[in-house]
Amino acid sequence: MPKVMAMPDGPSRGRRGRRVSTTLAEINVVPMVDVMLVLLIIFMVAAPLLQRGVEVNLPVARQTQKMSEERVYITVPLSYQKDSRVFLDEEAVSLDFLAERIRQAMISKDQKEVFLRPDGGVRMQEVLDVMDRLKEGGIERVGIVALQRAPR
Amino acid sequence: MIRRTALSFLIPVVSSIGVMLAQQPTPTGGNQTPPPQQPSSIGVSISGDSGSAPRMAVPDFIALSSDAETQAIARTIGQVLWDDLNYEREFYMIPRDTYNSIAAPASIADPPFDRWRELGADGLIMGSVAKAGNTVRVEMRLYRVPTRQQAFAREYSGAAANARVYAHTISDEVHQSQRNLRGVARTKLTFVSDRDRQRVVKTVENREVKEVYIADYDGAGHRRVTAGAQLNNSPTWSPDGRAIAYTSWRTGFMDVFVSRIYEGTMSNPAKGTPSAQNYLPMYSPDGTKLAFTSNRDGNPEIYVMNADGSGIRRLTNHPSIDVTPTWSPTGTQLAFTSERSGTPSIYIVGADGLGLRRITFENSDRATWSPAPRNELAYTARTGPGYDIKVLNLASSETRQLTFGEGTNESPAWAPNGRHLAFTSTRSGRTQIFTVDYDGRNIRQLTRDGNNQQPHWSQ
Repeated sequence: MPKVMAMPDGPSRGRRGRRVSTTLAEINVVPMVDVMLVLLIIFMVAAPLLQRGVEVNLPVARQTQKMSEERVYITVPLSYQKDSRVFLDEEAVSLDFLAERIRQAMISKDQKEVFLRPDGGVRMQEVLDVMDRLKEGGIERVGIVALQRAPR
Repeated sequence: MIRRTALSFLIPVVSSIGVMLAQQPTPTGGNQTPPPQQPSSIGVSISGDSGSAPRMAVPDFIALSSDAETQAIARTIGQVLWDDLNYEREFYMIPRDTYNSIAAPASIADPPFDRWRELGADGLIMGSVAKAGNTVRVEMRLYRVPTRQQAFAREYSGAAANARVYAHTISDEVHQSQRNLRGVARTKLTFVSDRDRQRVVKTVENREVKEVYIADYDGAGHRRVTAGAQLNNSPTWSPDGRAIAYTSWRTGFMDVFVSRIYEGTMSNPAKGTPSAQNYLPMYSPDGTKLAFTSNRDGNPEIYVMNADGSGIRRLTNHPSIDVTPTWSPTGTQLAFTSERSGTPSIYIVGADGLGLRRITFENSDRATWSPAPRNELAYTARTGPGYDIKVLNLASSETRQLTFGEGTNESPAWAPNGRHLAFTSTRSGRTQIFTVDYDGRNIRQLTRDGNNQQPHWSQ
């Protein structure tokens, strides 16, 4: 059924002024790009940058709204290899349900984007299985979170 | 993410206690203590994250015996109930194909809550079907998944023949108890159809028979009402849902007929003749009167009569055509189409014939008045080569359009809760009946066989 009426979900908020600092670590993404570039936009982010921030004392207001652009983190722990469960933020979710949970989480979000935090010991195949489900859940952009290597 | 605290369900409990305290009578002296008052019920309702619809899961009902028929009923109820709940858009319905890895429990009393929680469900409807002879017993429970509380439970028993009725009933009751909303799952549509592909006999033109049909709001379970092998048109329900008034050519000219569908009787209250033809009937909201169009005084005008045909009164008086009356929800006004300004447009007149005013200023026809409290008129407007459905808000005089030139779209009819409209469209080829929500979303096709036209929604 073709959509009859474009229903904008309210005034579209300006894109978050986040600067993606793509650390140009020399990772060979070519095999992965072959398979998945058409599916997902993948970028890498450095974890410390995401968490660091200038400390300020923000003014207080009563009528504040939650930031709609909350980041959604998907953590793939080493235990994934045993129980096929990832963490959606802090909640363990079995891989079977991940696509649906992502759909639910993305309903109110403009940016269909999650940040993936795979354990370094998780196999590539397993990360791709998770990404498959993210794609099924409507995700367009996946950020892979990595620790920035300390300068030598 | 994990912000679904117990607080949100506590609110109804707390507020009912508040009401209880406020209503406590003040002692008027002496030492008489007021009788203990308790809220008659404590509601547990399903709520989601703040600002988003509660997420609901409806797995297949559990068949308590392993025969194929019981299992088919159990599956049907689960599927239809999911569709019914999805229709009102009050809940985020978790797609049923994601339930596969959750094993059905042996009893509806202990569903695997942690698995449903993992799937993100706020509410879970479990049910069971037990069959004995030709009767079934259907049990349903609505759980609030985060707290594992039972929020609502019902038990039904009845005929095994129509499993969909149980699902429709459960859906309406869940909407009533959880969202304080009148659902439409048990309402019906009446319409005309040429799906029998019979030809009208004894006429020169080779025309197909159009018969009056009824069907559930979702298009299932259609049944034919008339068997006149003639043209029948514009059926409308009586408010009690027991009679259908329509225009028929069964006597060779147009006359208003009323079929009482449960009694199986038929009458023509307006007693038409070839020179006094009557058509386009519409019951008043209290069911005591019928408005219709008649040419008995020379040209088509709007008339009102009592349901038994007595007390015919003329409401309009103009040399141009006045047709298609529709009642306001209070029964004090009627809207109709008139050509008195040159192009067909919608006018409103009081039920006493006074206070005539024009309300649309474009080529428009076939208005139907929304149920209260939504004070709106849906009508058909010419928007190019075809027609589209528009809705006029009578309070604000704002018009919005629901369809946008996909085929031609005509004859809107409101659902009794004012949240949906049925209409006919040629967008899929032949003329078929569709429903759309008041905001233009959620378009669904109900009929597929033959041409189907002129829907009207039961109360």
